[in-house]
Amino acid sequence: MTDIYIAVVCSSNMNRSMEAHAFLVKKGFKVKSFGTGEKVKLPGASADRPNCYEFGVPYDDIYNDLLEKDKNYYTQNGLLHMVDRNRRIKPSPEKFQVSTERFDVIITCEERVYDQVIEWFGSRRSVYNQPVHVINIDIQDNHEEATIGAFLISDMVTKMAQSEDLDNDIDELL
Amino acid sequence: MASKFQQNSNIAAQNQLAHWLNETGMSDGHKKADLLRKSIELLLHQCSHMLPTHLENVLSYVSDKSTDIKKQVVGFIEELSKNHPQFLPKIISQLRLLVLDSVIAVQKRAIQAASIVYRNTLLWICKENGELSELQFVWDNLKELKLLVLNMIDSDNEGIRTHSIKFLEEVVLLQSPSGSGEEDFCLDNLPSHLPFINRHALEEESEHIFQLLVKFHNSQHISSVNLMACMTTLCLLAKFRPKYMPRVIQALGDLHTTLPPTLSQSQVNSVRKQLKMLIVNLIRHPSSADMIPQLTQLLADIGMSAQEINKLVPKDRRYKRVGDVKNGDTPAKRLRIDSPHSNSQGSDSNSRSDFTLFDDDSSQGASKSAPIVTEDTIFEGLNNVDNVVNLVMSTLLNCLPTEMPSNFASLYNPIPNSGTKVQKRHLAKLTYALIKNEPEVPPQPLLSDIAAKIPLLREEEEKITLKNAVAKLQESTKAERQKENAVSKLMEETRQEYLKDEERRNKDKEKPSVPPTPTIPKLKQKVKFLKLQEITRPIPKDIKEKLMLQAVERILGAEKEAAIGGASQIRAKLITIFASSYTPEIRELILNYILDDPVNRIDLALSWLYEEYALMQGFNRHPVTLQPKMHEKHDQNYNQLLCALITQIAERGDPIMEASKDLLLRKVYSECPVVTEEAVDYLKHLVTEDKVAMLALELLEELCIMRPPRAHKYVTSLLCHVLSENEEIREFALKASVKIYKRGTESVRRVIEKQALLYLGFMSLPIPPTEVMPRHTRVWNDDAYKLCLNLTMALFPENEELIVEVGRVYGAAGAEAKRVVLRAIEGPLRAAQWPQGTQGPQGTQPGGLHPACRALLQHCPRGAETLLTRLVHILTEKAPPSPELVSRVRELYATRVSDVRFLIPVLTGLTKKEILAALPKLIKLNPVVVKEVFNKLLGLQNMHEERSPVSPTDLLVALHLIDPGTADLKYIIKATAMYCQQSCSGCAKSPRSRC
Repeated sequence: MTDIYIAVVCSSNMNRSMEAHAFLVKKGFKVKSFGTGEKVKLPGASADRPNCYEFGVPYDDIYNDLLEKDKNYYTQNGLLHMVDRNRRIKPSPEKFQVSTERFDVIITCEERVYDQVIEWFGSRRSVYNQPVHVINIDIQDNHEEATIGAFLISDMVTKMAQSEDLDNDIDELL
Repeated sequence: MASKFQQNSNIAAQNQLAHWLNETGMSDGHKKADLLRKSIELLLHQCSHMLPTHLENVLSYVSDKSTDIKKQVVGFIEELSKNHPQFLPKIISQLRLLVLDSVIAVQKRAIQAASIVYRNTLLWICKENGELSELQFVWDNLKELKLLVLNMIDSDNEGIRTHSIKFLEEVVLLQSPSGSGEEDFCLDNLPSHLPFINRHALEEESEHIFQLLVKFHNSQHISSVNLMACMTTLCLLAKFRPKYMPRVIQALGDLHTTLPPTLSQSQVNSVRKQLKMLIVNLIRHPSSADMIPQLTQLLADIGMSAQEINKLVPKDRRYKRVGDVKNGDTPAKRLRIDSPHSNSQGSDSNSRSDFTLFDDDSSQGASKSAPIVTEDTIFEGLNNVDNVVNLVMSTLLNCLPTEMPSNFASLYNPIPNSGTKVQKRHLAKLTYALIKNEPEVPPQPLLSDIAAKIPLLREEEEKITLKNAVAKLQESTKAERQKENAVSKLMEETRQEYLKDEERRNKDKEKPSVPPTPTIPKLKQKVKFLKLQEITRPIPKDIKEKLMLQAVERILGAEKEAAIGGASQIRAKLITIFASSYTPEIRELILNYILDDPVNRIDLALSWLYEEYALMQGFNRHPVTLQPKMHEKHDQNYNQLLCALITQIAERGDPIMEASKDLLLRKVYSECPVVTEEAVDYLKHLVTEDKVAMLALELLEELCIMRPPRAHKYVTSLLCHVLSENEEIREFALKASVKIYKRGTESVRRVIEKQALLYLGFMSLPIPPTEVMPRHTRVWNDDAYKLCLNLTMALFPENEELIVEVGRVYGAAGAEAKRVVLRAIEGPLRAAQWPQGTQGPQGTQPGGLHPACRALLQHCPRGAETLLTRLVHILTEKAPPSPELVSRVRELYATRVSDVRFLIPVLTGLTKKEILAALPKLIKLNPVVVKEVFNKLLGLQNMHEERSPVSPTDLLVALHLIDPGTADLKYIIKATAMYCQQSCSGCAKSPRSRC
């Protein structure tokens, strides 16, 4: 298989999926990233008051919003840096359930996300009957873990790309 | 304006399209793929009116080398089928080609497209009123396509399997009637007027495919990916076609209890997860209403808590469930369904012991109410309302813990059939068991679960539903608000506990047991990947063959051991199968083994021969894998083996072999199932070798006699030796031929005759053929003629008809040959039992001529007159000529043979007038002949006492009356003198003659 089309999915399409997205793009893979949550959630000033955005709201706007809210705080916890990186990769967070693209491999970053993806597939008839591999890699939602996770994903995807016949080899590969 | 613009852009697009297509043809690699992609896009979306023109161009890339290009063509076909189904007749066969492509990626893509095309084709067939032949063409192609994919479910490639599962899913969906009247396409939409579409057959086919899918789903070697795909497919089918629901649920249940042993831990986990999700989805689906109990049971088995399950089941159906229960469904099943602890995770022993404690508490109450207990007394006690109330009260007051045990909250379920007799009886039994303090270890978890319910059951006596029970409990403790807190707290605790439990369970899993899969858990954990397909690589062919060779060697070496163990027959069978079904190396090995000690191993050789023969004839009953491949010439193997055996035995020349060569060859030839032509040829060749010549001849003879059905094939090899220069061989061959001729069937006789006639025919050739005279200088001589004659002559006594043929050849042959024939035929002719000879004395009973003789006389071949004369001579030597013979001879004399000598043998049969007419000619002959004539006429030398038609006196008178014009006077005088001399010497011998 020459080029596999990859989707990296996490809950909010902010941290984990974007980290991996960035990494994979650098390695030259064909990749997209998504979130499966209801909304894009970012930690707020306190645990019970997260910052919520709709999917589709540009990273730019989010960035500005955060900047406005508490520049210092969000710079310190790295959020601003993260969103800044994101907006250089793609314009806005995307919701997985809206996408109509056909991927070869979908990598989820959390079991809950995996469940949502599977359920999403299970809930509709397939149009093209094209199988897709959905692989879950549990990554905690913090910066360090996301970086490590991105490495793992990249390793895995590299191996996949080397496979002549992914469908046949994937069991072994994993 | 707008339309003009459109037109312009259209033209531009067309030009662009043509340009790109041309470019595509000339470029390579990525650029080519890219151009083709663009062309296809344009063709499909902007210039669809150009499709007829360019369709072929695009389709021609089916045979391109590049995978990408081929995939694009598949995509093109897929799109066409959707948007321009009128082209289906043109593209369907291309798709078939692609499904069979050598590149797996293309194959997969094609299968994927196939399911879409399949659907679209059916839609098209429904709508299209076009030409029937076209529809049929597409349909037939489609059917073949279906068959192709159907067979791919056993492909070695996992991906292809996955794709074919999906394809089959689509086929089943399309070919089965929809249970609910959905707008989706189904079997019912198919038109019934088309002759080639048989709805019933299609439905049956879909049923088959469904069964195949279920079988595949439950097979042991399935990979996790395909298993999940298959599960999804089955569930999808169940959802859309409710008639499959029960079987799908059954299959899922089976899967849960017997997960393929090859899955690794993480795979087991994901399969479970998938299973759970699918079942949850099924529960949510309306058509599963009737199957809720089974589904919930399954979920419980997987490890879902009762609450979670309850939450899943839609409300209306939950009530239905209670209703069901009230109607008295099988209680045991119910309980099982409702008992969350029957999950097979096996780590719930903790909580179960809690319950046992609990039970113990309550049992004290029970024991109070029944001092002398039997099951019956308890049962009766339970029938008494007071007792029950007491029991409940005391339990409530004394035995209940102050706080609701966390397990209770999570595990409690209402007792479905509370209050019924059955339930009471059951309860009594359990209570009794408790009181008797029997070891409370029920054989199955199921029972313990029932036991766990005992205290609750009692409360249920008063038909308290779950809500009531909870309410009652709550009432008895705290106020409303507090209760709620407590409950939520309890829930939280339960969850925590559950989580802990889960954690522990996970840890457990890392240790030996993987609970529900009934596999060999310990082993499985140590070897992490037991999936055979993954951990094993196919052994390279040469190594495989080497190993096999070694194995066979060992089997061969174990002759003695096998005999001691009484397995020699099985061993022989094994060896023959190995020898006949595998590589040439093994064949050679075994052949050599046999030839090492042929005397003792000849039986093995024979059974091998039989095995080969069975294979050749297709009698074998081995599994398919052992059957010979089509390309192997198995009919050759038998022949080769037979010939190898024979040649080796005959030619090896080691002392043991030499000694028993005779025996071995005979055994092989006589006992093998069929003697092939080559083997016979070899035998023929052996005759030319001095040592074994006679043996070979004997074998040939035996073959012909012992195997009558094919004797006509073998006999030629024997017959050719009648021309042998070696007298011994020749004689033997002749004898054997005659023997076979005597015994043989019609066909054998015919072959022998034909051969004899062939040799006979040689005589008429100007130079002797190589068969007779292999040397360079080939000139006929007497010996050569004799060689040609000998077979015919040997057969002559058996078949007199041959005389006709002899006559024919005689006629055509040269003088030398004629002489030899005459000389050779004399003996056999005399020996033959001519009818003349058997006639009564004095010819009183004139019998007919022998048919062969008659035939020869009738159709006398030109040039064979001398032979005829000789024949007639011999015929009349011993008996007077029969009237028929006389008339034939007379006829011949009148028409063909002018030689008067021809008449001599039958003189006595002629009339007086005839004799007298011939007399002038007769007396002109050689004096010896004249003498004989007179002898005949005078009845001298006549042992048959026949009466001559002319009296001696008449004869004498006639002699005198001969016109000197017809015969020279000198002859007359000589003849008269001889007559007198003869008659005088005759007087002395024959008293009858009146001198």
